[in-house]
Amino acid sequence: MLEIKNYSKSYDGGKKAADNVTLTVESGDIYGFIGHNGAGKSTTIRAVVGVLDFTEGEIFIDGHSVKDEPMECKKVTAYIPDNPDLYENLTGIQYLNFVSDVFDISAQEREEKIKKYADLFEITDALGDLISSYSHGMKQKVAIISALIHDPKLLVLDEPFVGLDPKATFTLKEIMHEMCNRGTAIFFSTHVLDVAEKLCNKVAIIKKGKIIASGTMEELTEGQSLEEAFLEADNG
Amino acid sequence: MDKRSMVLLKALLVSTSRMNVFKHTKDKKKKNKIVAAYVGLFFLYAMVMAYSVLMCIGYGAMGMIDSAPAMCALVISSLAFVFTVFKTNGYLFNFKEYDMLMSLPFESSTIAGCKFLYMYINSLPWYMSVSVAMLIGYGIFAHPSVLIYLYWIVLSLFIPLIPMLAASFIGFIIARISSGFKKNNLIHTIITFAFIIFSFSLRYIIEGLFRDGRAEQTLENMSGAVEKASGVYLPMGWFSDAVTKGSIVCGLLLIVVSSALFIILFHIVGRSYRNINSALKSHAARGTYKMTTQKKRSLVTAIAYKEFRRMIGSTTYITNAAVGDVLAVILGVATLIIGFDKLIAVVTQNAPVDSAILQPAIPLIVYFMVGMMATTACSPSLEGKNYWIVQSLPIEKKTLYQGKMLFNMCLSVPVMAFTTLCLCISARVPLINTVLYLILGTALCAFSTAWGCVCGIKHMRLDWENEVEVIKQGPGVAWYMLPNMFVVMILVVLVVFLGLRIDHKILALVFMAIAAVLALLSYRRVLALAKK
Repeated sequence: MLEIKNYSKSYDGGKKAADNVTLTVESGDIYGFIGHNGAGKSTTIRAVVGVLDFTEGEIFIDGHSVKDEPMECKKVTAYIPDNPDLYENLTGIQYLNFVSDVFDISAQEREEKIKKYADLFEITDALGDLISSYSHGMKQKVAIISALIHDPKLLVLDEPFVGLDPKATFTLKEIMHEMCNRGTAIFFSTHVLDVAEKLCNKVAIIKKGKIIASGTMEELTEGQSLEEAFLEADNG
Repeated sequence: MDKRSMVLLKALLVSTSRMNVFKHTKDKKKKNKIVAAYVGLFFLYAMVMAYSVLMCIGYGAMGMIDSAPAMCALVISSLAFVFTVFKTNGYLFNFKEYDMLMSLPFESSTIAGCKFLYMYINSLPWYMSVSVAMLIGYGIFAHPSVLIYLYWIVLSLFIPLIPMLAASFIGFIIARISSGFKKNNLIHTIITFAFIIFSFSLRYIIEGLFRDGRAEQTLENMSGAVEKASGVYLPMGWFSDAVTKGSIVCGLLLIVVSSALFIILFHIVGRSYRNINSALKSHAARGTYKMTTQKKRSLVTAIAYKEFRRMIGSTTYITNAAVGDVLAVILGVATLIIGFDKLIAVVTQNAPVDSAILQPAIPLIVYFMVGMMATTACSPSLEGKNYWIVQSLPIEKKTLYQGKMLFNMCLSVPVMAFTTLCLCISARVPLINTVLYLILGTALCAFSTAWGCVCGIKHMRLDWENEVEVIKQGPGVAWYMLPNMFVVMILVVLVVFLGLRIDHKILALVFMAIAAVLALLSYRRVLALAKK
């Protein structure tokens, strides 16, 4: 579903934020992307979702090139950034309707989906309020719902658990499992290694823009905890 | 426009509409503030309308009413160009919600096009205020048919498009060039300033060309200048011919050319949109800092320094806030090089004006530029989502505003002193008068700073989506800038008139006292507002 091939991104001055990154996320995978702050996780994720331009390498989503066929890729992808910049002067429901309109979701379907996810995240009552009045966690919940209402084939999340309360964290993990069972590919970055260990079937560790280890959870940990495997790879 | 474009345009408009906030907020104070902002805005539109009607009546009284449509097109086109040039960075490029929009299935050209239309719709009330007012003036003198009224209104909607597209294209070129540099923000700011200065001097360059015999006629009067401009800038002529001669072809030309240029431009912009925004929005951390000796600053100085960093970090902020200062410095240097007399001759197009009578107006001329924009008028709102930082720190509001005012004084006073000195040296103003002008200039800067702060606090708005909303369109800035500019223009005329009858030193002392009292009153108002 997602194929990143030799992707590199250089910033001005020649410093590489991502260096020859190669990985594949299959349908049904929950793929964790872990690394230090500034390791290149967000740079890679932003290129995957078509926000950041890149010159080296190729990224394919559902067989379409992000560079050459961005619209085809975006139609099947949903992205939740680490700090969602939503339209603050819209109400939650206005924002969700905006995204539904963009994906051309029927009135009945959007009503069902919004109700289902808003109830799960316990935010239904607040949907009529302005987003500017929401807490960080509430904004995160609205961003998550907006990503789920069009049934994406690929879900890309950047630090999705930051700011969520324990119940919402649990709900999101459940939804991720459910989506994975339906064949959705999930690619997400996180610092919370415990979550990644319990949730993911595949993991990649990125350091200074380079993938230093990747594979299935079993291959990577070899009986250790993910934390130990991460520290070992990081020190090595 | 396809369905997706309509969805995006609607979201852009609703998400920045204060009406939407009014409808959904439960905060009564916020609701009152929104009503006050709308009342203020309508008052400003009324001011623009009154000015436009008066201009048109002046044309009619002088028997030049046929020039009114061209003048209307000229005013709207100039406004549209200037408004847009300052907004491209922040609206078309490098905007906050770029990641969110780009990750959704929108073509790049759709996003850029909708952003442009959003700018257009938002500025339309200003353009239509001019148009409707001048139509009223035109109607009084020319007695056109009802159809012409309708024709005028419909075509007025298209007049701003071409200048806006031209300004957007220039913004695109500037963004394209600067995105290739390591310090793209700095390069962007420098090129924008260079372009603004070029635009301001363009009028004199064109006039120079005419005077050099490259055009057959010289610009004899205002009407002649407008006629000339209609020949150079064709859409002006199309509009004028359409409404004065009822030409359908000219009307269609205006509509078709505007629409075609829109489609072409956003096709071009769309092709490198992601590339430009990626470069403008992404910055690599150098990670080479070595711990050095740190300096301790007083609280007010620390806030002023924070304001300085805020300004130089934003091309939109610096180009809007410092444009007057840059123009003032250029004026000062130009005066030293070509001389005060010659400069007056250039500005007045060789009108028989004795430059000596303009001497008492020097501080006001300098203030017109230096005080064009006070950073204090927008800096309270610019705190935006970062307001929690100063709120959670042990800083009194009074100290916060004092820091903001200190920064504006640090920015404006040296520029004012430099330009005033240049003008006084060049105009051979006596030393004692020069000193008085410098003190008067300082008092005016103090007034500008404190009055700007009053406007900034009274119309503080933290929930903005884009900093352009408070820097360029904020009610605080509008309330500061428009009356300030109009009043200074009137004062320049008044002081020249009084200077013929009263000693220049006494005149400077009187103005100094008035400016000082106004500055003090404004400062006290700031302190009172800080207590609330």
